[in-house]
Amino acid sequence: MDAIPIDDFLPAAADRMKPLISLQNIVKNYRDKQALAGVSLDIQPGITGLLGPNGAGKSTLIKMLLGLVRYSNGTGTILGHPLGRAGRRIRSMVGYMPEDDCYMAGMAGVEVVQFSACLSGLPDVEGLRRSHEILDFCGMRQERYRAIETYSTGMRQKIKFAAAIVHDPDLLILDEPTSGLDPEERESLLNRIALLHREAGKSVLISTHILPDVQAICTDVVILSKGQVVLQDTLANLNRTSSPSISFQVLGDSTPIVNHLAEHQFDVRLRPDQSILVESEEPNLADVIWSAAKKTSTVIRSLTAAKNSLEDVFLQTVKESQHASS
Amino acid sequence: MPVHDVGYRGWDGKKTSPLTRWKIITYTGIRLALRSRWVARLLFLAWLPVMYWGVGFFFIENSINQDSGISVAETVVAAASEATMGADISADLGLGGSRKKIASIIRRQYKMVPNVDVIASALESGNEVATRSVVWGWLLMTFFRYPQGTLILFLVGSIAPALVSQDIRTRAFLLYFSRPIGRLEYVLGKLLVPVAFILMVSLVPAIALYFFAIMMSPDISVIWSTWDIPLRIVAASVVLVVPVASIAVMLSSLTQESRFANFAWFAVWAMGHGAWIAILFSVAVGKGMNPFDPIVTNDPVSQRWSWLSLYNNLGDVQSWVFGFEDFSQIYVSAIVLAGITIFSLVVLYYRVSAPMRV
Repeated sequence: MDAIPIDDFLPAAADRMKPLISLQNIVKNYRDKQALAGVSLDIQPGITGLLGPNGAGKSTLIKMLLGLVRYSNGTGTILGHPLGRAGRRIRSMVGYMPEDDCYMAGMAGVEVVQFSACLSGLPDVEGLRRSHEILDFCGMRQERYRAIETYSTGMRQKIKFAAAIVHDPDLLILDEPTSGLDPEERESLLNRIALLHREAGKSVLISTHILPDVQAICTDVVILSKGQVVLQDTLANLNRTSSPSISFQVLGDSTPIVNHLAEHQFDVRLRPDQSILVESEEPNLADVIWSAAKKTSTVIRSLTAAKNSLEDVFLQTVKESQHASS
Repeated sequence: MPVHDVGYRGWDGKKTSPLTRWKIITYTGIRLALRSRWVARLLFLAWLPVMYWGVGFFFIENSINQDSGISVAETVVAAASEATMGADISADLGLGGSRKKIASIIRRQYKMVPNVDVIASALESGNEVATRSVVWGWLLMTFFRYPQGTLILFLVGSIAPALVSQDIRTRAFLLYFSRPIGRLEYVLGKLLVPVAFILMVSLVPAIALYFFAIMMSPDISVIWSTWDIPLRIVAASVVLVVPVASIAVMLSSLTQESRFANFAWFAVWAMGHGAWIAILFSVAVGKGMNPFDPIVTNDPVSQRWSWLSLYNNLGDVQSWVFGFEDFSQIYVSAIVLAGITIFSLVVLYYRVSAPMRV
């Protein structure tokens, strides 16, 4: 018997590179305002953070992707389906978690998830079984049987997340998924999102203002400002600093080591998180820092290759775009 | 972590047809409404008149089966009048009295009862089959118009106001419309909630009454002489549910507060009917008569303004459906109901689409 080539089990290379979302020059005009001013982007499979200041057009873009609002101009595809003409097909393959505190009154948590499942096409009993399974995955216990009006904001977030994934969508669009969650729940939710991508192969588009969330789980970043894409890149590229640099933290007073390095012509900066950033073309920069610590009797707590702060990148990008448009 | 937590697993089962998603909305709406004790009580209350009308049908058919020596038509009218009016007509009729005499008595003594002239005429005709058809139709028409017409007002008033207003208040629209359903399906699903409840207390009991009457009748051939009655029941139910559900759900879509929608619902009925009653009183005062005397209610001024009352409009069109009025007599009511329904549906669709236009 001939062996079956392993490539037969893998998606074609072209498919792997096929963008999940591809938009070309999308324009959305409201009466007196242009919400999207020629958005063009290709979003690859993975976890993509959609960032932007308030009013940048993120919510409009998401609603347009779901086929809930019509766009004025442009073309695009989502999961291979043409934008604007296959709204139902797209919505059956997408799980959406809205930012708004929205819920279906009068129902218990598990009923809301079951209802969402049935609206997405799951049969009634199967929808209930699947809802319980997903609520277990989301860490909802007996409170699932309580009326949703009695839930805290965090619990409602969990229910919305469960409702978004109950029909096993290929693409998740999450709008501010961690808002209202306590730190522990926030971490759990981010872990779940990462797990969905890693183990279930889901792609995720996260619209958020919480940059550490993006830093924690995203592979790609898109920044919108004034209805335009002002930056799209992988997080790895954005993290990369323009010149070799090291960030370190010390125990106690950092002044002696900072002064010592400055005296030796190193570019030293103190960051808001109290870490010290040293930029230099020196090939053995880490050794230099260890040596300076020894000479100044400073205890180094941590030492890592420096990364660009996403916050800096975001602020800089938005500032530049606003400056350019004005 | 629960012991049965299996983590995340994919789902690749067979999905239901996209064309039937509105059923989920309707089914869920009905289930939620039935959780209210008031709705359950009203449903129970709305079925009580069925027993009363059932007794009416029983007397009619029981009299037919008895060899009492009087004509079927006479016993039918006697029993129907007794069942629906609560009056003992037998003394007025007298056993073996002539049909013309009985018809005359009915016309005189029961002149306040709508369409009593039609029944009296049927009685005079002496045609057993035609009389049965007329009386059955008349009983069912009064069943639709009086007890159910009033109870439905309260039943719908306790169900419909929250249907869309609650979704607006809790911003549940995004949860609906991010699913593979459209706005028309949402509107249809919501409309069918009050429709289902109205049918539960109008169509279903009316059909049950019809079959009860068939069972009480002397032989099964009665079906052939009354075959049109189930169709008339369905048509009367459609006349009732379409405008009523449209208005109720439209009012619900106008506000975030279901209590406002509830108030508006009762106000629409009370104000229209109240205005017509006021006109009746003014006519009655001018004539020095009882405002509900047929001479007053049939006065051209009263008739001209009858369309102000939704209740009258529904009753008039149902009278036509059961064959007691000509279309020329009720066309204004039909136009008013059609206009209100179209207006309500357009407003409802516009309101449901509004949150997506931001």
